[in-house]
Amino acid sequence: MKKLLMAAALAAMATGASAEDVKLQLKWVTQAQFAGYYVAQAKGFYEEEGLNVTILPGGPDIAPTQVIAGGGADVVVDWMPSALAAREKGLPLVNIAQPFKSSGMQLTCLKESGVETPADFKGKTLGVWFGGNEYPFLNWMAKLGYKTDGSPDGVTVLKQGFNVDPLLQKQAACISTMTYNEYWQVIDAGITPEQLVNFNYTTEGVATLEDGLYVLEEKLADPAFVDTMAKFVRASMKGWKYAEENPDEAAMIVLENDETGAQTEAHQKRMMGEIAKLTAGSNGALDEADYQHTVDALMAGGSDAVITKAPEGAWTHAVTDKALAN
Amino acid sequence: MRNLLPILTILAGIIVLWYAGTVWLNSAWVYDQAQRTGTTVSFSEMVAQTMDQDRPVLPPPHQVAAELGKGLFGQAVTSKRSLIYHGYVTFKGTMMGFGLGIIAGVLLAMAIVRFRVMDMSVMPWAIISQTIPIVALAPMIITLSSRLGLEGRDLPKAIIAAYLSFFPVLVSMVKGLRSPDQMQLDLLKTYGAGEMATFLKLRLPASMPYFFASLKVAIAASLVGTIVGELPTGAIEGLGARMLIGSQFGEPLIMWASLFAAAILAGMLIVAVGFVERLARRRMGVPG
Amino acid sequence: MSALVIALVVWLALWALNVWLAESPVSRTRAGKVLVPVIFGATVLVLWEGLVRGLGVAPVILPAPSAIAAKIATSLPMLWQDFAQTILKGAIPGFLIGCGAAFLTAIAIDRSPFLQRGLLPIGNFVAALPIVGLAPILVMWFGFDWQSKAAVVVVMVFFPMLVNIVAGLQASERMQRDLMATWGASYLQTLVKLRLPAAMPFIFNGLKIASTLALIGAIVAEFFGSPIYGMGFRISTEVGRLGLDMVWAEIAVAALAGSVLYGLVALIERWVTFWHPSQRH
Repeated sequence: MKKLLMAAALAAMATGASAEDVKLQLKWVTQAQFAGYYVAQAKGFYEEEGLNVTILPGGPDIAPTQVIAGGGADVVVDWMPSALAAREKGLPLVNIAQPFKSSGMQLTCLKESGVETPADFKGKTLGVWFGGNEYPFLNWMAKLGYKTDGSPDGVTVLKQGFNVDPLLQKQAACISTMTYNEYWQVIDAGITPEQLVNFNYTTEGVATLEDGLYVLEEKLADPAFVDTMAKFVRASMKGWKYAEENPDEAAMIVLENDETGAQTEAHQKRMMGEIAKLTAGSNGALDEADYQHTVDALMAGGSDAVITKAPEGAWTHAVTDKALAN
Repeated sequence: MRNLLPILTILAGIIVLWYAGTVWLNSAWVYDQAQRTGTTVSFSEMVAQTMDQDRPVLPPPHQVAAELGKGLFGQAVTSKRSLIYHGYVTFKGTMMGFGLGIIAGVLLAMAIVRFRVMDMSVMPWAIISQTIPIVALAPMIITLSSRLGLEGRDLPKAIIAAYLSFFPVLVSMVKGLRSPDQMQLDLLKTYGAGEMATFLKLRLPASMPYFFASLKVAIAASLVGTIVGELPTGAIEGLGARMLIGSQFGEPLIMWASLFAAAILAGMLIVAVGFVERLARRRMGVPG
Repeated sequence: MSALVIALVVWLALWALNVWLAESPVSRTRAGKVLVPVIFGATVLVLWEGLVRGLGVAPVILPAPSAIAAKIATSLPMLWQDFAQTILKGAIPGFLIGCGAAFLTAIAIDRSPFLQRGLLPIGNFVAALPIVGLAPILVMWFGFDWQSKAAVVVVMVFFPMLVNIVAGLQASERMQRDLMATWGASYLQTLVKLRLPAAMPFIFNGLKIASTLALIGAIVAEFFGSPIYGMGFRISTEVGRLGLDMVWAEIAVAALAGSVLYGLVALIERWVTFWHPSQRH
């Protein structure tokens, strides 16, 4: 504990040069999934609050949890299963806001591979991303009673890359997709929705909370930090609501911020449309029932459970209460 | 020029094989799609369809060339969609890593040649260091450097590039600094030359051919390091990042074009280093 | 802070010991040659441990060597499974196939100066390219299991090997070849008795480069898709799960495997090319 405190103190020294500087580490590359933050930046919502926000894009080998532990960011976008798992590993992350109300994760299968219900998974090869994104999947498999070690009664799990090729090349019967990204890549590739079977995590009752904002617990002891975060969350949520109402403009703002120059307008506009469905209904404050649902889902896996004991203090309304007060 | 014809022949062979591969690898998708829609395709239709897919398993050369041309000349070089812009980012990282690698390699080589203890302790570990997959260290290098207050994405990338490029310099310089034979060393001793003078007047000049020979290897290693550094970490700008985005968003053409842009960059760097090498050799009076 | 001070003192002491050893006659013995680098390695570990403890670095940033050692001890079966998947199934077969293919290609074009003149510059060029970029493509072609990893390794080692072998086959001197001719040696006899032995230093140089490339290729390829075991898989996923001790355990295994492979090549080289000046001591 002492070590962590010291690490956090060092991190605070490294990053807290000016109280109003905020560094946000995204979970993945610049895309409409993070439109709210880019909109808040471009529309000057952060500036209005007196914040100087730096948005750091992620990538396949960037774990937001590691970045924040290393003091590389003040606040990170992460999925709750990954954040709770990190918490159990000794990195006390706290959810301060939850802009995403619903889960966009699904398992997409080719009909021709003979999968129609979860009972058909047996003996099939299923793809999932790793690096913190595997928890909802592993948890679902545990709930279904499938072993994930490739034994004949279980399923064979593939670490899928960053695209949908395993499905197109028929290397896997099903792959993980997000409603706003990979699913449309499958469609774009020329496969029709009728040829696919989708298992949505929400309908299967195994949904967990996705993109939320997390900070280190120690830093919340400082009222000034809470205050800064309140401003940040308020401006970010303003950005999100603006993006929901003006999806095309939001997509263009994201495109302007894409430094690889490889994203396309069509992709981002469509992604924004799908993202808006997921952020709808959230004012930023974490819904305690949703949180409890995620925790219950993650602990249901028995011996393979993602987290072994109910986390305490893994979320706070302190920031959102302040942010939404006026 | 004597080699031109053979090279062109081989290249032609590669292109023919490539087209054959395109048909072979992309045909599965054409047949699958036909089956899904319940139609059949003739052989010639199939071949035509393999040449122009949106996400081919193996894009035919002309598709790659078109994408490459679009990336290189399709827009202003300052545009984020320009491969020249991304090539420049990668070039910058490569040169930083190259410079760091040379400094580290030369300094270490000097210490190793001067101090026996360095030779015995460090040399085996220098070899072992190259067997560590640097990509595995990349995320940690980034986190650690941000922890130490080193901002920006250039430095971590340059460290990875330097990590790969210092080794060939080190090995060649150790060999080069040791290349003067006993007779030459004895001669300098009879002149009453001290350690410093021996180093400056004999060892250093003697090591130069070795040094320049190692640069070609080092620059290639540095480019690989930079691209590897851009590939998984940050994925923000540079040719490596574009390869990654191409892969992630199912745009194989972007990936292939970046790959060839990287090849062109590699070719230019090697030619440039070769030119410097020849220039230096001529000035130092080395024949050949 | 005391841990840091102790580490610094131990580090200085061991370094002094090394300086003394290196200057003493012990350093000429075989034991001395092993001892000095081992002590150096130990000093680095002690310093590392001291820094981590003394500065209170969080284990999710940089775990201490003792924590890594503990992790290695408790996860041997997993490490072995990863090692078997990545090294035994991916790197080694890829290494053998790639080197073998390069050797066969070199022999095949040996009698055609035309092909050699065409292939050598291209081979030299390709050997300098960032082949790693092909990894995602090859994973797409050859599937997720070890086959695609072996394929990446094959492509990575092929060109450096080819270039070295072709250069090696040209290394015998005119006079030596003429001598073989006066003895009435056939092409095959000249190849086996003169030119291949003369090529060995070049071939082993290529093999050494290829041995490190093989490991890197096999591990990097796993980043782009893999079954749920393998060293590259473990490294990339454990970083995401903050299991940094496991990441370093895998790195240690990779370094060990790489060193053993390199050492093996060097050993065979010494045995095969005993006649070469670089092997005389």
